[in-house]
Amino acid sequence: MKFSNRYIFIFITIIVVICAAILTFASVGLQPFQKANREKERMAQILQASGYFDVKDVIAFYKTVSEETTLKGDKEELKLIKIKAKSGELCYVMPLTGKGLWGPIWGYIAVKSDGKTVNGAVFDHKSETPGLGAEINTPKFMAQFEGKLLFDEQGNFVSIKVVKGGVANSNIKPPYGVDAVSGGTITSQGLEKMLEKSIQPYVPFLKELQNKTVTK
Amino acid sequence: MSIKKYFGPLSKDNPVLVQILGVCSSLAVTAQLKPAFVMALSVTIVTAFSNLTISAMRNLIPPRIRIIVQLVVIATLVILVDQVLQAFFYDVSKMLSVFVGLIITNCIIMGRVEAYALSNPPGPSFLDGLFNGLGYGLVLVTLGTVREILGSGTLWKMQIIPASVYEHGYLNNGLMVLPPAALILVGVMIWIQRAKMN
Repeated sequence: MKFSNRYIFIFITIIVVICAAILTFASVGLQPFQKANREKERMAQILQASGYFDVKDVIAFYKTVSEETTLKGDKEELKLIKIKAKSGELCYVMPLTGKGLWGPIWGYIAVKSDGKTVNGAVFDHKSETPGLGAEINTPKFMAQFEGKLLFDEQGNFVSIKVVKGGVANSNIKPPYGVDAVSGGTITSQGLEKMLEKSIQPYVPFLKELQNKTVTK
Repeated sequence: MSIKKYFGPLSKDNPVLVQILGVCSSLAVTAQLKPAFVMALSVTIVTAFSNLTISAMRNLIPPRIRIIVQLVVIATLVILVDQVLQAFFYDVSKMLSVFVGLIITNCIIMGRVEAYALSNPPGPSFLDGLFNGLGYGLVLVTLGTVREILGSGTLWKMQIIPASVYEHGYLNNGLMVLPPAALILVGVMIWIQRAKMN
């Protein structure tokens, strides 16, 4: 059978339009479910940063322990989640966003009410290399952040360094550094930058918390 | 017409073990059984329905643009599967990450469309796609089972190897969770398959 050019153009146009229509309907129809999943994941990650693992009913539990607020920042409003951590302490969870090697990385860091001690951190990524950069969201890597300090003895914001080759072999003091992911140098650097940049706007708030604990 | 003639892909004409197609994804997603199973299911659905759709239109498709038409149909089906997974099986969809999208490039699917669906009626084409998907799935599920038991001591996230064994010094095989282990296992499976055929 011979097909004319006209037929070919009309045929492919119809096929593409039908496919596009199917995909549009699917995307619009499924969006509420996908959104709910992402929201649930966000809550689960915030809970993990506060020390809760294996929570069954994430949404209900999240609502009972946490309160979402905003802070006035220099440029824009800052999101802040007040949460009663598993240790019983009140923690403040800050969202983090940054860049990895291949795509965005993000996470949450929970700071204790003294304003400088890290209660826990959770990281996630869009498309880091499995086995290398993707290791940032393994429990082993994330567990390192517990008990780290964001401020030095003089009260200056120092963030947490992600140290290539290990904190033990560097001149960074243990409370201010974690071991980088081996083979994931660019992801690790991105993570370090993300911590510094994302926490920076919260520094005035954290200092306020520190002053409160001192005067108490 | 007996359904038996479609059983080839399950053994002597297996797409992975005999035709050596779709090896990449079978190495990448089989560290655990659950993602392997979902991947197998997704590929089976896509092969079956792409075969069905292309076969139904086979007399209307101009041969000069048939590859484009095939890709449009396959890509649509894969995106649909991806969207459904994201909506209802979010954790698995995260585990499979890019490999769901990469089903589009799985040679088994285009291979079957090109070799079978373009010249056969919809019913047989559907079955051909279905069994080729199942043949691929069989390999994935086998790999997933072996790798998860040896690599993590679990199966479908449930502890299989008892804690008492670990107390006597047993360790999970770290190699098994990495893709090279899957390559070795696929090699062993191909060996067994060839030995059976000769």
